[in-house]
Amino acid sequence: MFEAAEINAEHKDLIHDVAYDFYGNRMATCSSDQYVKVWDQIGNEKWTLTSSWKAHSGSVWKVTWAHPEFGQVLATCSFDRTAAVWEEIIGETPGPGERGTRHWVRRTNLVDSRTSVTDVKFGPKCLGLQLATCSADGIIRIYEAPDVMNLSQWTLQHEITCKLSCSCLSWNPSLTNNHPQMIAVGSDDNTAQTGKVFIFEYSENSRRWMKIETIITIMEPVHDISFAPNLGRSYHILAVATKDVKIINLTPIKDNSSIQSGLTKLDVQTVAQFTDHTCTVWRASWNVTGTVLATSGDDGCVRMFKMNYINSWKPVTVLKGDGAVIPNDAHRGSIASSTGVLTPPITQTASYNDSGSMVRNGVNYTLKPTNCPQHIPPRLFKRIRQSFNSI
Amino acid sequence: MEDENLKTFLIPNDLCKSAGIAGTWMSGNKIGVFPYHNINHSSKDAPSQYTKNVPSSVFHVKHEVVLFHPILRRLVTESMGIFLNLQTVVENKPSDYKQHLQQFSVQYRSVIRASLENLRDEVLRATGEERETLQNFITIFYSVECIWHLCEILYIENIPGHVVIKHLLEWVRFHFPKYERKAAFLLSGESIGSLESRQDYWETVIGCLLQGRVEVVRALLSCHSAANSTHFKLADQILKSMPTYGVYEGVSVQEFNLRWKHWLVDTQSKIDSKLFISEKNLHLMMRLIVGEEMAWSEVQSQCEAWYELLAAWLFYTEPTVKSFELGAFAKRCISRMGTRMHHLDRVLLAAMEGDVQIIKEIQHMTENGWFVTHLMDLLYHCEQLEKWQTDKEDSLKLRHSFVFEYGNTLAGHKSLWQLGLNYLDHCFPDGLAAIELLLPRVPINDESKAHRVIQEAQKRGLSHIAHSVAKIEGLKSLRNDRMGNALVWALRSQDSNFASFLADKFLKKYVDTGILPNVDLLSYLGSCMMASDRLIFLGKYYQFNKLHKDKSYREAAKALVSLIASKFTPKFFWSTLLSEALTLLECDELLLSSNDVFNLLNAVEERLDCLCELDELEPLIRLGIARNLSRALTYEAQYT
Repeated sequence: MFEAAEINAEHKDLIHDVAYDFYGNRMATCSSDQYVKVWDQIGNEKWTLTSSWKAHSGSVWKVTWAHPEFGQVLATCSFDRTAAVWEEIIGETPGPGERGTRHWVRRTNLVDSRTSVTDVKFGPKCLGLQLATCSADGIIRIYEAPDVMNLSQWTLQHEITCKLSCSCLSWNPSLTNNHPQMIAVGSDDNTAQTGKVFIFEYSENSRRWMKIETIITIMEPVHDISFAPNLGRSYHILAVATKDVKIINLTPIKDNSSIQSGLTKLDVQTVAQFTDHTCTVWRASWNVTGTVLATSGDDGCVRMFKMNYINSWKPVTVLKGDGAVIPNDAHRGSIASSTGVLTPPITQTASYNDSGSMVRNGVNYTLKPTNCPQHIPPRLFKRIRQSFNSI
Repeated sequence: MEDENLKTFLIPNDLCKSAGIAGTWMSGNKIGVFPYHNINHSSKDAPSQYTKNVPSSVFHVKHEVVLFHPILRRLVTESMGIFLNLQTVVENKPSDYKQHLQQFSVQYRSVIRASLENLRDEVLRATGEERETLQNFITIFYSVECIWHLCEILYIENIPGHVVIKHLLEWVRFHFPKYERKAAFLLSGESIGSLESRQDYWETVIGCLLQGRVEVVRALLSCHSAANSTHFKLADQILKSMPTYGVYEGVSVQEFNLRWKHWLVDTQSKIDSKLFISEKNLHLMMRLIVGEEMAWSEVQSQCEAWYELLAAWLFYTEPTVKSFELGAFAKRCISRMGTRMHHLDRVLLAAMEGDVQIIKEIQHMTENGWFVTHLMDLLYHCEQLEKWQTDKEDSLKLRHSFVFEYGNTLAGHKSLWQLGLNYLDHCFPDGLAAIELLLPRVPINDESKAHRVIQEAQKRGLSHIAHSVAKIEGLKSLRNDRMGNALVWALRSQDSNFASFLADKFLKKYVDTGILPNVDLLSYLGSCMMASDRLIFLGKYYQFNKLHKDKSYREAAKALVSLIASKFTPKFFWSTLLSEALTLLECDELLLSSNDVFNLLNAVEERLDCLCELDELEPLIRLGIARNLSRALTYEAQYT
């Protein structure tokens, strides 16, 4: 059973990315309207817009949070060929009764790219504060803030050329002595007949990032790529959004040649491939423990996949956009209460129905075929209207 | 090819429909869904076709977890206690291990019963939507209790010879207590007039008979006004002489069967000679107890469920039925009653058939894994799971996957997270890794929670998480301008950079205001100051400052000299340090030896670059040094 709460994001164009902070209590959104907005969860499930600013002079593609150990820090990347790091600070002069206003300041503007910067991600926190960007001209850049208490200083540490236009990147979150730093990059190039996913590894010996693998089984453009959080496994799981959903296991092999070269050799295995979206897949997102993958595709659905106890991946749930808006016009009048809950039209006690699922309010939530999907029931559907003026 | 268990939910939003959607995971069981249409760098950066008048919304979709309802809090916490005890017992493997497991099963059931009773009380008070929710919970947990009880009889309890009929009857009586209550009322003598005149008299008698309550039936019959008539006495005789099978009664199954057959033939002959025909209900009862098909057809409508009939029917026709034979009989009962199979029925049938299907059915119950986790854990330890799996390894994995899932669910909740961790602890090897991911993400809104998170981390040897949490708390304090607090957290985080950064802040504040903040904290630093060089300097400087204030100038001078010699002095602090040295140099009493003064002079020479901005200080310092040096040299020449 699901319930949904709506937050009017107030962007003037499509949202390109939504990112949640480490705890899931703050939300950053970015859009083609060139703005970035930050929302805070105050109290129970109530989200308030706390900051909104024009971050770039082009569409903002991605927004991402740094680990809270580095403070309240965001990075964005844009069509305007730049990436930026933002920090939230509290004003020095607290007003009477409150602790000063919070606002976001641009700590740095990374202008090395000559083309649209397509993705930006902070590295695992044990590496200090590192930031990777990739751009349409196929260059991956690794920046570092040497003093984590001073975010205005960033140095470009590495530039890796990938030849193909890059669309997405992901840091491998599992970092122990056994696993050197690793980045996976996807390309959305649709001309070259080559693999579109590249794995790079930082070689301690040569102090350079080296390409250790090209996944040749993926020749179609790749739109999103994401390493799963590691649950103490000896292998890495990579989700790839391309013409379908692919889940790939990367297992490091220890043999003589890999010991000599100091570079990891990977055994690449596609463990799952889902064509459920029936067309292009745009995004892939792992939950905190890496047990459920949510992908979004051109079919207008978010699909969730889960691994069962014998390690095989299965589709579990589908969310689908639907035009039938609940009649919220009548509801808008009482919007001041901010969480107006519609009263259920049908009252019926719970019972078990034939298909074996619970029936509540006469709405059967457990559905067999997807051709008769059900709405998230209006009564659980809380419309929270955020007032822009309140901030 | 769609999986039949695949669920589809619709997000009612126009833009989500026309543009498409994308989702990003939040924490726990929540996902943020937003209208999304892929536009990439190769297209023109212009306002999209979706800008017109439709607002973009983000939808936070979350899996509804019934266990998070406050009314079920007791169930969740108490069952965790049982779960943990069970794990301890299993690790120690005592000899009466099986006995223990059965005890645990009973404990789990009593927790369910307690919450059911609690729910029943609450449902009376509740209104509207809440009432409906509670009624829904009652339905769920009633089924859970019913299934658990049956599983306990079939798989957990160690029944000699697998002769289960007594237990089955108990199970049925427990879940259909209607007749027993009525009988108790009738026998209590509170009803006025003759019992048989009440219209539910015979219904109750037969109901009790069906539940195998022979003694109660006899008692009820003896209250009948015609109890002294021959046919009543005869019926009583028959019921009294009915043999019952019990392992501890020292009768073998064969012997029992022999007696049973004798009794049957005897009773049948009495029925055939129409001894009971004058009282039709008595006649019916006698026909029932000898298992006459026609008679059973007459009464089966009195049973609410097929399993009620099953237990009754088996008691009178197959009293020595074995637990593993139940499936076939159950099917016969179901077809006899023409039951439409609901979920509960299917689970019970699967349980009786001893079918692996039961796991799947239980999983589909909507209490978010509470039931399946605890029951499967118990069944795993009873070595029942492996009978359903191809190998032992798989059954362990299956048990782990349920415990893992359940632990994960709880760990994502703002107040139940600690319970979740306890489950994950018993889920090797993924459990600890999941804790590593989940524990640092527990939202911390006050310091006591931070302490609890740190405690949980240290309990599991995850000191890096404890450090990280402390660092984040330190940053928070710093943001709120609580420097002393920030320093305390920085020390806990063992992050020397952070400690240095804060020490600098303290010193800068002193340079600006002449006041050293949080002096009481600094006086207790002790060995903690070893965390960073800058912190050592701060600590030592505080000691100097204190001595100076207490007018212990000689000690202060010593401390100052060692401070200067330590070379830890930050650049911005030199001028402050030297101007304080000046007061000591110019003191009436001679405080610094010639050696000390030379050291001081050396330091000044080395740090000229720091002093050049304060050029009025430099000549003063040099003068002070020169004067002190002359005094010291004279003194030393005289007395040594």
